[in-house]
Amino acid sequence: MTDAGPNLIPLIIVTLALASFIVAGLRARARSASDYGIGGRYIGRIGGGAAIASNWMSAASLLGMGGLLYLHGYYALAYVIGWTGGYVLLLVLMAGQIRRFGKYTAPDFVGDRYASPMAGLISAGISITISIIYCTAQFKGIGMLFAWLFGTDYRNGVILGAVVVVGYVIISGVLGVARNQQLQYTLLIVSFILPLMVLAYKLGYFWVLPQFGYGVAIQDLKREFGINFAAPFASGSLFQWISLCFTLMVGTAGLPHVLSRFYVVPNIRDARWSLVWGLFFIALIYWSAPAYAVFARLLEARSGVSLSPAAAERMADLVVIKTAVMGGLPPWMIGILAAGAVSAAFFTVAGLLITGASSFSHDIYYRFINPRASETTKMALSKAAVVALAGVVLVVALDPPGLIAEITAVAFALAGNTIFPAFLLGIWWGRANRHGVIAGMLTGVVITFSAPLFGGFLPLVADIFPLTSSAFFGAPTVIAIMVGVSLLTPPPPDEVRRFLAEQVHGHMD
Amino acid sequence: MEHDREWYDVNIFRPRKGYMTGEVVIILFVLLGWAVANFGVQAILWLLSETPQGEGILTRLTFLSFPWHFWFTAQFLPLWFIILCILFNIYIDRHTEQHSRRKDRSHD
Repeated sequence: MTDAGPNLIPLIIVTLALASFIVAGLRARARSASDYGIGGRYIGRIGGGAAIASNWMSAASLLGMGGLLYLHGYYALAYVIGWTGGYVLLLVLMAGQIRRFGKYTAPDFVGDRYASPMAGLISAGISITISIIYCTAQFKGIGMLFAWLFGTDYRNGVILGAVVVVGYVIISGVLGVARNQQLQYTLLIVSFILPLMVLAYKLGYFWVLPQFGYGVAIQDLKREFGINFAAPFASGSLFQWISLCFTLMVGTAGLPHVLSRFYVVPNIRDARWSLVWGLFFIALIYWSAPAYAVFARLLEARSGVSLSPAAAERMADLVVIKTAVMGGLPPWMIGILAAGAVSAAFFTVAGLLITGASSFSHDIYYRFINPRASETTKMALSKAAVVALAGVVLVVALDPPGLIAEITAVAFALAGNTIFPAFLLGIWWGRANRHGVIAGMLTGVVITFSAPLFGGFLPLVADIFPLTSSAFFGAPTVIAIMVGVSLLTPPPPDEVRRFLAEQVHGHMD
Repeated sequence: MEHDREWYDVNIFRPRKGYMTGEVVIILFVLLGWAVANFGVQAILWLLSETPQGEGILTRLTFLSFPWHFWFTAQFLPLWFIILCILFNIYIDRHTEQHSRRKDRSHD
C-alpha cells in the first residue's frame, strides 16, 4: 500500500482539478458578461439535471456510501434507495407547488406561509444546524483524503483541509468565480466510473458497464471466501432498514439546499423534467458505489488481508480510494478518483457555508436584530459567518462522531423531522397555522436528538428514534402534532389561505 | 360567506374541484407505486426468509448473475424511481395541457 508518505501524483492531479474550476469559472464569467447578458444562459433540461446532480453529490455519495456498503453489505443499500427514492417525494409532493409559491429559501417559505417571523427564525436556525452537520461529514471526507494525499494523520489532514477549503471558498468569492455545475458533474462521473471500469477489467468481470456487471463478484465472494455480501438482514433488522430508508427519503424532500434548486430553471415543466435527468445522473453514481464495495471485499480476501472490525471501520470512508490502490490502478487514475471526491466535498461545503452564512445575516440578523443594517454590513457579517461556521464544523470534525454517511443521515433526519412536515402541510393543508408549525418543528428537533439525549436512561427512545433513522416515527409524530395544535388554535390569515388556494393549487382553474 | 370559506380550503384528502383533483389522483398513484415497490418488497423478503440473516428463495434466485433481491434493490429500484418520475411528468404535462386549453392560456 502507498500509505506511507505523500501521494505526489494524486496530489498534483487534485490541485490541477481545483485550479481548473477557478479558471473555467473566471472564463465563463467573462463570457457571460459580454455575450449573454446579466441573466446568464439557459442550460436546458439535461444541463439542469446535471446541475441538480452536482449540487447533490457530496463526500457522502462518493466516499461515505461505498464505505458503509463495504462494512454492511445489503443493509447499506438503504442509503442508495433513500437518496434516490426521496426525489420521487420531492417531485410529486413539492417541486411544482413551492415554485408557484415563489419563495426562494426554506426560512422565507416557512415565514411567509405561516405568516410568522418566529417560525421563519426557527427554520433558519434549523437550516443552519443542518448545514453544520452536513459540512461535518464533508470535513471528515476532506480530512481523510488530505491525510492520505499528504501522508499525514487524520488530525493534520482535517485542519489542513479546512484551511484549504475555506481559502477556496473565499478566493472563489473574491474573484467572482461562476460555478459550472455541468463541468463539475462531468468530472464526478468520469472520475468515479473510469477507475471502476479498469478495476472490473483487471479483476476479470464485465467492464463495459461495471455498475451492472459485478453480480458474479458477489457470488465469487460467497463461493470462494464464504463472505455473504448480499445477506439482507445480517447488519440490521427489517425495521432498521425501512426506518433508515424512509428517513433518508423524507430528509431528501426536506433539505433546504435541495428545495431551493427549483428556482434556477425558467418554468415548472422544465424544472420537473430536469429533476428526472438529475435523478438519472445521481443513479449512475449510486449504481456504481456497491461495485466498489464488492471489489474491495474481494481484493482484501484474495490478498489474505483480514481487518479487525475497528480497523475496517476506521478505513471504511476511504474504501473507494483504497480499492483503487489495492487493485493496482496507476497513480494518475487514483488521482482522478481523489479529485472527484475532493471537488464533490469542496463544492458541497462551499454551497452550504455560503447559504448558512447568508441565512444568518439575512434571516436572523437583518430580520430580527438590526432591520436597518446596510448591504455592506450584511455582506461583512456573511463573510465572518462563513469563517465562524467553518470553525464550528472543524471542531466537531476533529473528533468525528461516526462514518460520513451516518453523520449525513443525521442531517437528513433533522430535515425530515422539521422542514419536511412544515413544507408538506404548508402546501397541502391550508388550515396548518403558525402555532402548529412552531410546535411541530420544535418537537422535530427534540425527536432528532432524543437518542443521545434520553437514550441513556430510556432505552425505548433510542429504539424508536435511532439517531440516523428517527424520521420514520418522527415525521408522522410531528405531522400529527402540527395537525392537532393547528386545529386547537385559530386558522392562519385569510390572505395566506386564499393565496394557497388560488395561486398554488388553483392556477389552472 | 361559509361557502366562500370552503372554496379556498386546501386539503390533499379533499382536493378542490378542477385541476387539483386530477393532480392528486396522479400523485396518489405514483406514491402507491413508490411505497409498494420499496417497502412492500422488503417486507416480502423478510416474510420469505428462512434464516435470521434473511436467506430465502429470493436470495437464492439469481438475475443477471445477481442474487435476485440484491438486483432488485440495488439496480431496479433506482430505475423504478426514474420510471415513476417520468410517468408523473407525462401525466402532469397532459393534465396541465387539458386544463390550459380549457382556460385558453399557455401552461405554467
